[in-house]
Amino acid sequence: MIEWAFLLFGLFIMLFGTLGLLRFPDVYTRLHATAKCDTGGAISILIALALASDLPLAGKLKFFVIAFMIAMINPMVSHAIARAAYRRGIKPKAVVDMYAWDNS
Amino acid sequence: MSRVHLYLKSRLENVRRRLLYESYEARKLPTWERVAITWLALFIFWLVISGKFSPSHVVTGLAVTFIVALITRDFLTDDIRQTGHLLSKAAYIFFFLVPQYLFIMAFRLLESNLRVVKNVIFMDINPGIVKVKSELHSNTGLTILANSITLTPGTLTLDVDKKLGEAYLYVHWIDVETLDVEKAGIKIKGELEEWLKKISGDTALRCSIPTLHDRAG
Repeated sequence: MIEWAFLLFGLFIMLFGTLGLLRFPDVYTRLHATAKCDTGGAISILIALALASDLPLAGKLKFFVIAFMIAMINPMVSHAIARAAYRRGIKPKAVVDMYAWDNS
Repeated sequence: MSRVHLYLKSRLENVRRRLLYESYEARKLPTWERVAITWLALFIFWLVISGKFSPSHVVTGLAVTFIVALITRDFLTDDIRQTGHLLSKAAYIFFFLVPQYLFIMAFRLLESNLRVVKNVIFMDINPGIVKVKSELHSNTGLTILANSITLTPGTLTLDVDKKLGEAYLYVHWIDVETLDVEKAGIKIKGELEEWLKKISGDTALRCSIPTLHDRAG
């Protein structure tokens, strides 16, 4: 029963993450939507899979290892994409840009 | 007169800092301990990932992780220093502080997901890049802080600038509320930095002492 709740929550987050990817104006705000879609959505779907599957304990543990790795790696990847986009010269649509003040 | 006095004072300060830094560096773990800690961590990871416990798997894992541990011994254990209570400190961190940190982060993750869903629906965004000062100095602590900021609601770490004794984070904030560095720091970091200070302990403060190489450059 509870795995259905996790699965539906993951689908909900994935749906609105995709919607954010389509609606937000520039790279950096779109990264917010996709990063949250990745962590929240993928992790709750993985937890639902771990609860629902009839694997032995070592197999279920692997789902949690993957979820942990996603939670660790996802911020680094989004940081790398944002920094590379900034170095490439893509200006953010922002009200304030202190990074440009210090690095121009 | 007074300038000479100031010069001597700064020289003395530099010597004191160098002495402190060198005594800090001298408390690094010996090589075999660094290799052993990395080997153990990698081997546990191997066992969980492979999920098989036959002798051939275990022997292969021991051999491969030993070679990897020989090469990468400095990545994991760079910020660990000998303080006399290494095992008790490790046990305190892993059984008491890390579960609390994970518990807090799980709820921040949930809150951040719901916040982004709200932003997507109403499009009430006001993005900007703000600068935040961090009081952590070790590389491990800064990495964990930057990653936690990315996982918390509405913020994304763009870059880390580490200068002499102080570190600044550039954070892309989806809804800028204040431009002041102090207030933005309180809003963004929240209670996370206090937890990380507890985890990295007193070593964080001594990491702030610059090396000779840093000062030359």
